[in-house]
Amino acid sequence: MLGVLLVVQILVVVTLGATGYSDRMLEAVIGEQLRALRPSLAETIRDPDALEAAIATQRTELIGLYGLDREWYTRLPGMVLRVFTLDLGEAHTLRSSKGSNRVIDIVLERIPNSVLLLATALVVTAVSGLLVGARLAGRPGTPLDRVVSTFSAISYAFPTWWVGLLLILLVSFRLGLLPSGGMYSAPPPEAGIARFLDLAKHALLPVITLSVAGVGPYIYAVRTITMNVAQGDHVTVARAKGLSARLISRRHILRVAAPPIVTGLIMGFTGTLGGSILVETVFNWQGMGRLYYEAIAGTPDEMVIVALTFVYTLIYVIARMVLEVLYLLLDPRIRYG
Amino acid sequence: MADFRLGYMLRELWKSGPGRVGLVMMAILVLTSIAVVIAYPIDFGSSRWGNPLVWANNPKSAPPVWQNFVRRANLPRHFEAILDEPTEMEVTPRATRRVYRFTYEFTASSAPTFVAFTLSDVVYSARPPFVTWSLSGPDGRSIALERFTVNGPRRSEAAPFERYEEPRRSVVGSDGRVVDDLQRFFSESTYGAIDASSISENLEPAMFGVPNIDGTYDRLLGEYTFEAQVLASGAGDTIGSVGIVVGGGVFGIMGTDALGRDLAEGLLFGLPVALLIGISTATVSTILGMSLGMISGYSGGWIDLLIQRAADIVANIPVLPLLIFLVFIVGSKLWLILLVLVAFSWPGLTIMVRTMVLQLRTGAEVEATRALGARDSRIIVHHILPHSASYVLAQLVFFAPSAILAEAGLSFLGLGDPSIPTWGQILEYGFRTGAVFLGYWWWVIPPGVLIIITAVTFMFLALGLEPVVDPRLRGKRSWHF
Repeated sequence: MLGVLLVVQILVVVTLGATGYSDRMLEAVIGEQLRALRPSLAETIRDPDALEAAIATQRTELIGLYGLDREWYTRLPGMVLRVFTLDLGEAHTLRSSKGSNRVIDIVLERIPNSVLLLATALVVTAVSGLLVGARLAGRPGTPLDRVVSTFSAISYAFPTWWVGLLLILLVSFRLGLLPSGGMYSAPPPEAGIARFLDLAKHALLPVITLSVAGVGPYIYAVRTITMNVAQGDHVTVARAKGLSARLISRRHILRVAAPPIVTGLIMGFTGTLGGSILVETVFNWQGMGRLYYEAIAGTPDEMVIVALTFVYTLIYVIARMVLEVLYLLLDPRIRYG
Repeated sequence: MADFRLGYMLRELWKSGPGRVGLVMMAILVLTSIAVVIAYPIDFGSSRWGNPLVWANNPKSAPPVWQNFVRRANLPRHFEAILDEPTEMEVTPRATRRVYRFTYEFTASSAPTFVAFTLSDVVYSARPPFVTWSLSGPDGRSIALERFTVNGPRRSEAAPFERYEEPRRSVVGSDGRVVDDLQRFFSESTYGAIDASSISENLEPAMFGVPNIDGTYDRLLGEYTFEAQVLASGAGDTIGSVGIVVGGGVFGIMGTDALGRDLAEGLLFGLPVALLIGISTATVSTILGMSLGMISGYSGGWIDLLIQRAADIVANIPVLPLLIFLVFIVGSKLWLILLVLVAFSWPGLTIMVRTMVLQLRTGAEVEATRALGARDSRIIVHHILPHSASYVLAQLVFFAPSAILAEAGLSFLGLGDPSIPTWGQILEYGFRTGAVFLGYWWWVIPPGVLIIITAVTFMFLALGLEPVVDPRLRGKRSWHF
């Protein structure tokens, strides 16, 4: 898993280097610094020729400092390190809410918002998947069962973010029920319950959009897994022993079905992670996904995009590691090491 | 072993419910695409869709015409007319007066959105012709809308002077004499003194209506006549064509976007592009995934290890963030976007094919063939490929919709190829200009519905293929309707 993180970083850095993108970026930085330097030098050095010479010396020094005189692959390790520590300098136009233009500040303040949205959607998906899926497993072939299986197959063909646009059009514009975007009303309510309710109101549509995409396939997966386990011999034995249906379903079916169900959830989450970039964009949710959009639109902010790609990979890898640990806890047959 | 003759497969597909639906839908999509490809210029994106001049005469952000029937509304239809020959011509020794007359029947529930005039291909020998436009209404109003002189000769330019090869287009605005004339007409015909600013703010309602006490305007239904008079001094002077545009409140069968582009055209063009994206990405990544799987399974050793490690890593990379990054850096050319999509979609198939090859390689069939002295290449082509081809085919059909969705998502983030309009880009432009928040449903709903229809078609085909490629599944319905 850490290998994935490293490979992604190297891929990012190599792409930046091999396409000459980082060279152009560094040249722009140096040009910017020299422009800033010129007036102060001009105050002390009167002779125009001497001034040009002084600036040329400064340029060579800066080029040496940034390593622009070396080939891009020799700068690579340093670059990887800088990405890992998110030490990526300053953004061109984007600012954090406190006005800082450092990439690390801009990205860090967005992480909680994204995690909040993703976690809520994950909980909604998990709860509804478990409740409905386990229920459906008991009665396959009913109309509800058919609806769910059709829906889950079709939802692979749905662009999640477009469902968000549709919800805005319908719920926000036509019915005027919920806000169409943002995280708080303007002005935001004072801290406390009012503020929380305001946030919940704004989060409702994005969470619905994110869950709609994942919930169909997940219910279907839970249903299939539970059904397969319920047909196992040990369940028949348990029934023959006369155990109560509640006990059987809790201890003999769901306990056994838990590991694959959790896998399905985390797999679904990784799909949601990509979808959340687009859904945040649609709903102007001030998370990292919206930041992507803001960094692409208008004046492109390369370093913000590099940082975001890294943080998304990081979140993904953490989620997968949590999965491994959960697997270990849920399935006593698996032992690593 | 599955049978791979095309006729047999189509017949089997036709037998299953989803397969039949998929085939019919796919046939419709493909035929429409072929028609579009034939009818559209190859550089449609840059020469037409991305060229504002083409769309200048259309109303902006207008809903489709059929909204009038659905909502029982009566918004004005778009009206364009062009005359090559004058309606009247009067020749005097000193000048030639040409009159062009256009009648416009105003019956709608609101005033037109704008009025514009066009003039093209004027040739004169000495003095530039003089043009006046006027409007007369059912209540006898006669309003001067515009007057101008054709651009005069430049220094060092010799007669004949040719003007407006690219048609001159002018929109009636409140800066001309329109407001004065309307004001005078209203005051002379018992409506009293109307504020000039009120007229210039409601120019079209005032042109096609009469003022109310509360500052609004009532429609004046009936027949209006637009008249252009062109006075040319030289006997040999010619006028190409004269036209008017009365901007509608509704336009075409799919409406227009904020630049006045006919959405029907863009949406139709998106279809062959979407099919191309789906099919080409699916084909290339299937071939890549299959070959790597074959190599990995058949050769074993360090090559196997290397491919498997690579597959593990690529399969575990969060795709969209990296897609965004790569497309952002390498640039938004469509083939580059597709290449990046391919680069991330092979691992699943590779792992599957490898497992299959490993089983087959040790099986009796391969062993017997090898004993007969067959070369590796022959074993792969004749004894391994056919067995795994069924799964590969199903995968191919499954790849296509995800490629279409991925491209749409990237386009929505503003990373689409600007020279090739896609449904995702239409949605992106709508989102960026606030169409969603203004309730321009005709701009938001159709592109998404088309994406879904195309993706679902592939899904149906995949579901229909299941029993064909895997005989064990035949008879079992994996799909309910």
